[in-house]
Amino acid sequence: MSGKIFFRGRDLTQLSNQMYRRIRGEEIALIFQDPMTRLNPLMRIQDHFLEEIHAHESVSSTEARTRAREALVSMGIHETRIRNYPHEFSGGMRQRIMIALALVLKPSLLIADEPTTSLDVIVEAQILEILQDLKEAYHMSLLLITHNLGIVAEVCDRVAVLYAGKLVELGSVRDIFHKPLHPYTQGLLASVIHLETKELHSIEGSPPDLIAPPSGCRFHPRCSYAQPICTERIPPLVEFEPGHFAACHFGDKFL
Amino acid sequence: MTGPATVVKAEPTDEILRLDDLKVHFPVKMPFVQRLLQRGETVVHAVDGVSFGIRPGEILGLVGESGCGKSTVGRACVRLVKPTAGRIFFDGQDITKLGGEKLRALRRRIQIIFQDPHASLNPAMTIGKAIGHPLRIHSSVFGPQKTGSEEFGEWIRQKVLNAMKEVGLTPEEQLYDKYPGDLSGGQKQRAVMARALILEPNLLVVDEGVSMLDMSVRAKVLELMLDLKRRHKLTYLFITHDLATAKFICDKIAIMYLGRIVEIGPAREIYADPKHPYTKALLQVIPIPDPDRRAKKVLPRGEVPDAVHPPAGCRFHPRCPAVLASCGWEARDFVDFLDEHLSDPKRAGDDETILGPIEDWRAKGLVASLETNPLKVRKAVERTNAVLVEAPVAMKQAVESVSSQNRTVIVRFRSHHQLLQSNVQGRVVECLLYQ
Ligand SMILES: Nc1ncnc2c1ncn2[C@@H]1O[C@H](COP(=O)(O)OP(=O)(O)OP(=O)(O)O)[C@@H](O)[C@H]1O
Ligand code: SF4
Ligand code: SF4
Ligand SMILES: [Mg+2]
Repeated sequence: MSGKIFFRGRDLTQLSNQMYRRIRGEEIALIFQDPMTRLNPLMRIQDHFLEEIHAHESVSSTEARTRAREALVSMGIHETRIRNYPHEFSGGMRQRIMIALALVLKPSLLIADEPTTSLDVIVEAQILEILQDLKEAYHMSLLLITHNLGIVAEVCDRVAVLYAGKLVELGSVRDIFHKPLHPYTQGLLASVIHLETKELHSIEGSPPDLIAPPSGCRFHPRCSYAQPICTERIPPLVEFEPGHFAACHFGDKFL
Repeated sequence: MTGPATVVKAEPTDEILRLDDLKVHFPVKMPFVQRLLQRGETVVHAVDGVSFGIRPGEILGLVGESGCGKSTVGRACVRLVKPTAGRIFFDGQDITKLGGEKLRALRRRIQIIFQDPHASLNPAMTIGKAIGHPLRIHSSVFGPQKTGSEEFGEWIRQKVLNAMKEVGLTPEEQLYDKYPGDLSGGQKQRAVMARALILEPNLLVVDEGVSMLDMSVRAKVLELMLDLKRRHKLTYLFITHDLATAKFICDKIAIMYLGRIVEIGPAREIYADPKHPYTKALLQVIPIPDPDRRAKKVLPRGEVPDAVHPPAGCRFHPRCPAVLASCGWEARDFVDFLDEHLSDPKRAGDDETILGPIEDWRAKGLVASLETNPLKVRKAVERTNAVLVEAPVAMKQAVESVSSQNRTVIVRFRSHHQLLQSNVQGRVVECLLYQ
């Protein structure tokens, strides 16, 4: 591993484990696709919250309990259920409990990795609404990791597109959806099946082998615009218009 | 407990598959103590009175949220689960109770493809062997030569290579001896398709066959399905929770909610103008991949209820935005509402001291009751009435009376209307709004 991760101006990779653990939780919280990776089946919901709060803050247990209750209620789960075990909740409720748990320390950044993939579409929409409200209420930043472009279009302000381990495009959600500069982004958008889809599109070829990634531009074996330079030189990430970056030798062609 | 009645009866047609009031209930596994405490019926009503037909060469989409019973319907069609009640006809023949050799013969004509292509191929078997496997199982009916003979082996090999070509799993000669681990996701799904098609079935049940695939591969598999339908008049039961994909590929569509089909008809018409409130809700939440078309959605409240105790009347009534007084309101709806009320300190005031704790309420059918002390009972009736003022209008209208008896507060609901299926503009809808 190499590189740096800056959070509020500080390089996280340089921190001691102890400092890092403090920031993770108090300032940065994570939620995952499967809530059971975070919830201990043998622990009551309340104890999950208390553990989290006491690990990071020195508050009285009464105060901790009040905060736990508030966090749960803010996710629409009745406080009388706080003594239940994880398996006594539905999938959607568990997901909300996990979000409540991630938010109980009021982090400034929430990283959500496919937070709704295992949920019903209606519950998914409910959770996304909650996340958006929280973003506004707490002025929280959200890093949403997903392959569902519909969700991206609905929730995100800015979008980063990754291909084969590299950032290929970065821009506002409008730039990405209306003026994609990278051929991979273009292919991805074209292959989304939505309600108005009349014809199917797909990106030729198959995802690259990350052990021996293609030379030059990693997308070149599948790119219909590829030129000789693409197999030789790695395209740098260039700002083609204010705030809109792409890593393609011919990005300006699509402006 | 009587479920909603089915009035739209099956008429004899050229349908290849017909389900007639199919029910599949599963026993609930629970700890001994809980079983003692919880009396009465404890089965999952996974499928609870489903009827539909599919014509040859048609793709019927079965959609709905997780746990509504889609896979169970699919598995019942190939008789992998036993129907609790109702009948299944295939090509005019009643296959509900088929067994032995006849069932084996049937399995040749109806094939099923499961949710996860990665799990459905044996990693230790070569692709060619896996695809040819069904031929070996059914060799008595299929093989022109004696099993095990050289000709038999060669005959199978040719059939497999043809099937591979058919589904675009090429170069077939080279891929024949590869293992599943050497194949991409899309290739694996093609191999699964080839294996399902090698016995030349008439009906293919595809259970979430493309949901696991990434977008670029998904398109190719869908195209393959359409191609097989065109060339071989293959019929599909296409099970998915992805409504956009279903719209693209299906001729007819059935929307399921908690074990029942709530709307069924031609896909084009239903997508253009959904009638059932649940269908409307589902279509509305499909994200649109266009940031300029963000819109605030009107979401149904809550989640899909437990299929062990489905709601009375219309099963969607606790969440339905268009709900009427006659849709199935019952005691536990009131208790749920009260629970919500009490959990909001701003609204509840001191209601908790008079109407709480919520666990003390009993909900049985149409009657909710709270035993309290004789001094508080009048006050409790008053408070109950006050709380009900804030309840959804339809629920309020469905309350017959709030009364007291000795030390008990009683909230009684009117009984609901019988829910029937109606024909509405070319489709069948199960909703009181259209009755
Ligand atoms: N073998 C079984 N034993 C007990 N309950 C079962 C069994 N199979 C399914 N169920 C239950 O029946 C209901 C319907 O399940 P089913 O798998 O048919 O849903 P589904 O619509 O296919 O859901 P998904 O979209 O998540 O695949 C669920 O409540 C499920 O828990
Ligand atoms: S750099 Fe070349 S191969 Fe890569 S995306 Fe741009 S045109 Fe295609
Ligand atoms: S019958 Fe129709 S209106 Fe009544 S709850 Fe069901 S879906 Fe809603
Ligand atoms: Mg299923």
